[in-house]
Amino acid sequence: MRRAGVFVLAALGLAAAAAVLSPGSAAPSAAQDTNQPPWDGNRTIPAHLIPLHDEFDEPIIPTGTHLLPFSARNTCGPCHEYETIQGGWHFSATSGRDGGRPGEPWIWLDPRTGTILPVSYRPWPGTFDPRSLGLSAWDFTQLFGRHFPGGGPAEPPDEEVLSDPDARWSVSGRAEINCLACHNRSPRQDHSEWAKQVLRENLRWAATAASGVGEVGGMASRLGGTWDIYDGPNPDDHEWAVAPYVKYRAADFDSRHNYFFDLEYQPSDDRCLACHSVSPKDELQWKADPDVHSSAGLRCVDCHRHGLDHDMIRGYEGEGAARGDLTAESFTCRGCHMGEDAKGRPRVEPGRLGAPRPKHTGIPLVHFKRLSCTVCHSGPKPKDGFTRVRTSRANRLGIYGVAVWATDLPAVFEPVYQKDEGRKIAPHRLVWPAFWAKREGRDVVPIRPEEVAAAAGDVLGQEERIGQVLIALTLVMEEDEMPVLVSGRFVFEPTVDGSIEATERAGVRDDTPAYWGIRKDGEIVPLVPDFDPAAEDKDPEIEPRLQEFLQALGTVVGAPGPAAIQAGRTLYRFVDGFFDVSEAPEEFGEAARPGWLVNGDLAPLVSDYDLRTVAAKAGTEQTLTEEQVGLVLAALAQASENTDFAYISGGRMFRLGGGGRLTSEKHRAAEPVTWPLAHNVRPVQQSLGWNGCTDCHSAGSDFFFSTLEATGPLLTKAASKRSSTSFMGLGGFFQGFFGLTFAVRSLLKIVLIVCAVVVGSLFFLAGVLALGRLAGLLEKR
Amino acid sequence: MLFTTIAALAVAGTFLALAFHRFWTGLEKDRTNLVYVALLGRFWSWLISRSKENARKASVRAWWEYVKALPLWCLPVLEKWLFICFYGSLLYLAASGFIFAVFVPRGLYGFPLIGHVTAGGLFAVCLTLVVIFKGREFTSIPEPLILTPALFDRKRLGITAARTKHAAFWFFVLAGFLLTLSALLPMMPLLRTPGQKLMFELHRYSALAAVLAAMVYVGLELFERSRAEIIPNTRA
Repeated sequence: MRRAGVFVLAALGLAAAAAVLSPGSAAPSAAQDTNQPPWDGNRTIPAHLIPLHDEFDEPIIPTGTHLLPFSARNTCGPCHEYETIQGGWHFSATSGRDGGRPGEPWIWLDPRTGTILPVSYRPWPGTFDPRSLGLSAWDFTQLFGRHFPGGGPAEPPDEEVLSDPDARWSVSGRAEINCLACHNRSPRQDHSEWAKQVLRENLRWAATAASGVGEVGGMASRLGGTWDIYDGPNPDDHEWAVAPYVKYRAADFDSRHNYFFDLEYQPSDDRCLACHSVSPKDELQWKADPDVHSSAGLRCVDCHRHGLDHDMIRGYEGEGAARGDLTAESFTCRGCHMGEDAKGRPRVEPGRLGAPRPKHTGIPLVHFKRLSCTVCHSGPKPKDGFTRVRTSRANRLGIYGVAVWATDLPAVFEPVYQKDEGRKIAPHRLVWPAFWAKREGRDVVPIRPEEVAAAAGDVLGQEERIGQVLIALTLVMEEDEMPVLVSGRFVFEPTVDGSIEATERAGVRDDTPAYWGIRKDGEIVPLVPDFDPAAEDKDPEIEPRLQEFLQALGTVVGAPGPAAIQAGRTLYRFVDGFFDVSEAPEEFGEAARPGWLVNGDLAPLVSDYDLRTVAAKAGTEQTLTEEQVGLVLAALAQASENTDFAYISGGRMFRLGGGGRLTSEKHRAAEPVTWPLAHNVRPVQQSLGWNGCTDCHSAGSDFFFSTLEATGPLLTKAASKRSSTSFMGLGGFFQGFFGLTFAVRSLLKIVLIVCAVVVGSLFFLAGVLALGRLAGLLEKR
Repeated sequence: MLFTTIAALAVAGTFLALAFHRFWTGLEKDRTNLVYVALLGRFWSWLISRSKENARKASVRAWWEYVKALPLWCLPVLEKWLFICFYGSLLYLAASGFIFAVFVPRGLYGFPLIGHVTAGGLFAVCLTLVVIFKGREFTSIPEPLILTPALFDRKRLGITAARTKHAAFWFFVLAGFLLTLSALLPMMPLLRTPGQKLMFELHRYSALAAVLAAMVYVGLELFERSRAEIIPNTRA
């Protein structure tokens, strides 16, 4: 064979091998994918008038008694293979599959112990695997099930259920994938109801209740651990420990007991936003704009698509290569608007759903190399620094009821610009972790909040203790009266969840002595008025009122002793159930005060330490003081000698130094956890650069020169501060200098224009002259 | 990669062409009788021996003496400073631009970039002044063309070293103009991404063209000067 022939054959062989091995060709087409059901080509979805089945696959007859909730596995599963759906992005966190680009972790928040711990089953940087923290699937579901779509950790396999004797799966059942959480078009779909059912441990009933298919009563959480679904209703208790039950909405069934589901093939944005809302903290709802794509009429799922496998396209650059399916690349910003894959190659079809091609007039190329699209187009503009936002899952948004579910902590900030895995700068959301930990070499191992609380004892929980006293006193208050604790310039009132909230009094000094009082008509009067018990003309109402207070204080659980009230030299108390008025011992002094009789002394209702602690934290969102942290660290060390304990908050690690002093240091475990953000996308006129280069390139631009002070549950001045440029990994001095050059850039442009015009004209003239001479025209003249 | 390859080949080619010009001009025998292989062989021997000789002579002191001896320092004050700025900016632009383009995958960035932009402005101003005040020295008066077969005779076209220098000057001016234009336009709100890409490439290749023109000009100028030192009255 000729050499040329050999070469051609080798080249063809290589080309064939490349075609077989390339990621694009490895992806099976939809028609070949055996996981996808065949599509007949019709773009409508059928009416879903279908029989409901319970978890034992028994048909549900709505007129029957002791009905079980419907099971998605047995109701939807016959047509939509349940096992295939279980592999979807929302249900497969525990499966060990590749986590892809980091996303928002779950954040374990415990304000009492000051814990803000990012956890994720996916191996994302900065997060802890729940299993490494000793969190079972049951614990995880209890903590975060409020924002689960069912499945995943809420539906553990039998082995896991059997291996965890502390879990109550046999009582609560497992929360199957809740198809209706996304696909229900009915306005009855209620995410709040889902959260409440999860809180009540009614896991197997949650989907039925949340979808409005049936009304669920009872609480599995109040049932004994031995109860299971076969036991049926609790015959002994119709008030408290009522077993969960369901009453189906009979009107939605036909005569053959088929239920009409009002379903959507493509879920509406409301369903996604129930768990994926992000909004600036304290912003008014009517001022918040939606994503520009939503405004243009697109839905979340127009880009975040998937087949029956529910393996959702997340929409980041490089996802196509990771999935082995180039289609994913056409749903990135760059793919859809520019027709380019992650490497800038024109390999995907642009303009899906009418995506316009951006002009990017006047934007130098380096911006496309170094920045992701989202830098200029997504998230809040870096105006006046960073924006504090709240997210559905981190801050428990979207759950409505009497109690306020939403929390301000953890503090999530955006946009934090930093390099992503592709070394491009991209906007991120950020949260500073805070947790108690054991130090093991250079690593830290978080300690669970309940262990910390147990070791800390009375060092923590001031708010609850004060709240208990105030709530007890509310029992004997008039309608327009509110018991309060006044300390310094703050007034503390009880809240519905048993804690306290502080309001500030204007013009009052910090060192004003603390006292218990009653707020009435905006005025605060002392709980124990200053009166002379021995006086003949004393107010006859006073002593009965003191009796009421003592009765109320007697209900405080865990009080160190019986309640007593001292007024001058007189002591009021209950002795053997009878109201007793006696002379106070000499050592009590002559104050007017309530307290606890402990070891022959009248101890204050709350200790000075408690008062000092709540006063220090009042008006802040912090839940710990440095004094508390020091005491807890000492308590932990006492409980477990030879172990080095630390507390992480505000970007620093705090430890007990010599002499019991609290010291802080840098540690990588204290670094913030970040994840890229993509939404909301702003309109083009609000993108960075619309107003020119100086949107970013100026000496004091918010883009480069904002500073973020780390926040955390600990009230401290040692919190770390980071600049925007440090997040980006860029030099702040250079960016400042570079920004300054833009002050003279206009001058540079004018100079260059003049130079170009002069040089160009002279060159043209010289060329014309040379041409004229060559042609002999100039000589003739 | 393409630019690096083209730049390397173009610079090497220009260098070899200039070297060959020196070699060819210095040949004493009848040059027309040499066969190409022998010619190339002699050229390589000459190039190697000359490189060795120059390497032996080269030192910091020798360079410093050479720089001190440049006629630049004898020019009138304004002219002197014009050329100091012109050559200085050109050298910095070429060095920063090509080093980063060829050796740094990220390209030009950081303080070298700020320096590049500043030097670019200075270069544009100097080039404009040079063209205004010195351009007239680089115009020759060619004979009017006559439409005869002699038009295609290389010897009668009058391609001399002096005219090549003139052409190199104007080629440099054209490249400088394109460099200015391709630096200016991306800063204006005029070009979309394809236009920006075009300007980026135009800037690189104009810079390469400017460097090649400068090499030709300087090469011929130095050769001419060295010949003038050996054989007086040979300057054009």
